[in-house]
Amino acid sequence: MGRFIVRRLLASIPVLFLVSLITFGLLWLVPGDPASMFLDASATAEALERVRRELGLDRPFLVRMGEWYMRLLQGDLGTSLLLNRSVTSAILERLPVTLSLTMLAFFFAVLIGVAAGVVAAVRHGKAADQGMMTLALLGLSIPEFWLGLVLIWLVAVLVPIFPAGDYVPFFTNPWEWARHIALPTFTLACVQMGFVARMTRSSMLEVLGQDFVRTARAKGLPESYVVVRHGLVNAMVPIVTVMGIMVGGLLGGAVVIEQVFSIPGMGRLIIGAVLSRDFPVIQGGLLFLALIYLMVNIGVDLLYAVIDPRVRLE
Amino acid sequence: MKLKFLQLALAASLALGAVVPAMAQKKGGDVVIAMTAAPPSLDPHATSAQVARNVNLHIFETLYARDEGARPVPDLATGVTVSPDGLTYVFALRQGVKFHNGKDMTPADVVASLERYRKAGASASLIAAIDTVAATGPNQVTIKLKTVQSTFLGNLSSPRAPIAIMPAEEAAKEMGKAASIGTGPFSFVEYKPDSHIKLARFDGYKPNPAYKERDGFAGAKVVHIDSVTFRFMPEAGARDAAVETGQVQFNEQTDSTTAKRLRGNANFQVISSLPFSAKILKYNMAQGAATDVNFRRAVQMSLNAEEIMGVAYPDNNRIDQSWVYAGSAYHTGRPVFKQDLAGAKASLAKSSYKGEKLTFIVHNDRPTVDAATVMQQQMTAIGINVELKVADWPTTSGIGLKSDQGWNFWTHGFGIEPYEGPASAMSHWVKGQGQRKEDPTIDALFAKFNGEMNVDAQKKMFAEFENRMADEAIATNIGNYGLFQVATSKLKNFKAYRIPRMWGVWLE
Repeated sequence: MGRFIVRRLLASIPVLFLVSLITFGLLWLVPGDPASMFLDASATAEALERVRRELGLDRPFLVRMGEWYMRLLQGDLGTSLLLNRSVTSAILERLPVTLSLTMLAFFFAVLIGVAAGVVAAVRHGKAADQGMMTLALLGLSIPEFWLGLVLIWLVAVLVPIFPAGDYVPFFTNPWEWARHIALPTFTLACVQMGFVARMTRSSMLEVLGQDFVRTARAKGLPESYVVVRHGLVNAMVPIVTVMGIMVGGLLGGAVVIEQVFSIPGMGRLIIGAVLSRDFPVIQGGLLFLALIYLMVNIGVDLLYAVIDPRVRLE
Repeated sequence: MKLKFLQLALAASLALGAVVPAMAQKKGGDVVIAMTAAPPSLDPHATSAQVARNVNLHIFETLYARDEGARPVPDLATGVTVSPDGLTYVFALRQGVKFHNGKDMTPADVVASLERYRKAGASASLIAAIDTVAATGPNQVTIKLKTVQSTFLGNLSSPRAPIAIMPAEEAAKEMGKAASIGTGPFSFVEYKPDSHIKLARFDGYKPNPAYKERDGFAGAKVVHIDSVTFRFMPEAGARDAAVETGQVQFNEQTDSTTAKRLRGNANFQVISSLPFSAKILKYNMAQGAATDVNFRRAVQMSLNAEEIMGVAYPDNNRIDQSWVYAGSAYHTGRPVFKQDLAGAKASLAKSSYKGEKLTFIVHNDRPTVDAATVMQQQMTAIGINVELKVADWPTTSGIGLKSDQGWNFWTHGFGIEPYEGPASAMSHWVKGQGQRKEDPTIDALFAKFNGEMNVDAQKKMFAEFENRMADEAIATNIGNYGLFQVATSKLKNFKAYRIPRMWGVWLE
């Protein structure tokens, strides 16, 4: 297993390099000047040039790119053009916020999605199945930003149960943290919940129709044991694969949710950086997200071996 | 008897009215302001962005500042003596002014701040006329100009990228790196990027004794609240919800629909800061169809200002095509141009325009896109082929500010210049800055205006400038628009101005 992990980690390096190269290429292609964020529409061309010089944007793009890679090799992601701090510290400040949001959403999406999928499969063709799948389809179809805004209006403005936005760190006030994170978590989890429920249902239906399940039932095992021990465990491999993909969806969704709920996380950092062309933050932020995604996928591969002993990590 | 009782009641209520405001002023509380964006920098010299002004002008002060009517008045200075030749300005500084780090403000701090600004300030051209700055006494700073500049005090007091006074050791730092240490009524507490900036009442602040109450960016800045938090909430719906749920006490910008909905609600006060900006249409005179004056006139005549402003800024616009706001001594009250489709078509026929597709750049602010869309339709009606190119601000301004290529029309707000006055409004068109091609008449008028100390003569020159702008269609001023702002009704004594001022207000 150790060799597998080392090999996968080494294989991640060219992927990360490719991600950074593509990001650089896109930033080079995208028009727009971060210097203009400092000035209004009446700024003179000289003032714009002066700000560009101060920000180091007057140097050729390839020179800046070379410098960025040199610094990266020393573990330095550079300094934000607008935040007046290092990109690493800007990311590390926000990472716990985004991680807590995505992990909670992940947890609830998997918990509720798998449960709904199992129920739908067991009650195949009945009202419960149809009801669950309609809800799952609804969750999949509703855009996150719209659902977020509707929920704010519904349970923050109309019936003020939750705050309309903002974020309170867990260690500042755990109760307030829970109140502030509840709506964004639910909104973010909704789409993935539907995704997991549908995947679980179809995987479970396939497994429950297998001979070994019929045999288990014929042996007189309790139905719950058959469904969970023989059905769900064997249906888990495709569900775990989906979970790996889900992390990407959740990180992408967090970008939107953080914007809607005014949460100071990685998503908002990157959106803000894209809108203001804060190149070092875009570059560092995307690299970091790609790293998280790769790590999660290595974790998913390791989980395959845990769930299915036939899988060998070689 | 009944009359006497009414008189007594009236007298009593008047007496009560006189004392209630003083009694009602409550100390304490935190006001949370929902802002559309975070400032690009908290170094006041480094940026002319509106969002930065909102915060920085609570922390920093200037030698001279604009009063409620936008006139320059003393703030950190007690006054100025100008030499008969108009070249030397001797500023007497207010005594006992403290920085937030506890240090007294000295002439050395003023000199260092001014030197820093004129080297690399975001609007360094404002004080480009300065030849030397020197501390000439324990409470005195002398500025010598290279040439006479009638607008010098106006420039020095510009809030655009404020020429803020900071401790000399901060002024020694490179641009963008100065710590937020000023002399203003609020001191910096913390900045959480993507979340908020918090300021606290500076208890060492002594309101300017020359004034009785707040007056624009100057006056007696008395702070009743404990702190103010500027929370960055880019999503409009989230800002509205936050003010309605009481999470924030002031929303710096909302739309007309929300303003209309909340207007009748006793829990909120809807404020219109009209005029906040002029909406202008720029022509790229360096290339393409707009090099031809007949074409520009045709476009100008095709526009229906009422329709454009009515769609983009319903219930919050004023058709005023002067280049300074009403209330300024220089406001000409010039008649507004009327749509004249027949005249527009005739002028277009005289022009060299042959139906080629023209590019109209616009940034993705909803009302601005709406205004551009209406203008596009109106131009299409006379046979001009216009394509809108909507992008974000860095892209649009990157094209419009730097290049003669890639655009023919550009519409955006022109907010601070008409507020600052005629010189500021004129300066954007000097050396072809706004229209990409020099206009010797405007350049000469601006130079003459700067050297003219007589206000009546200045007024005549400014009227000439406005005529030139309209007759040659160098740019078209469509009209003024305001911002709708919403505050909780618990926020008392708030008055709309260029920024949401948190001095002079209190929470009930």
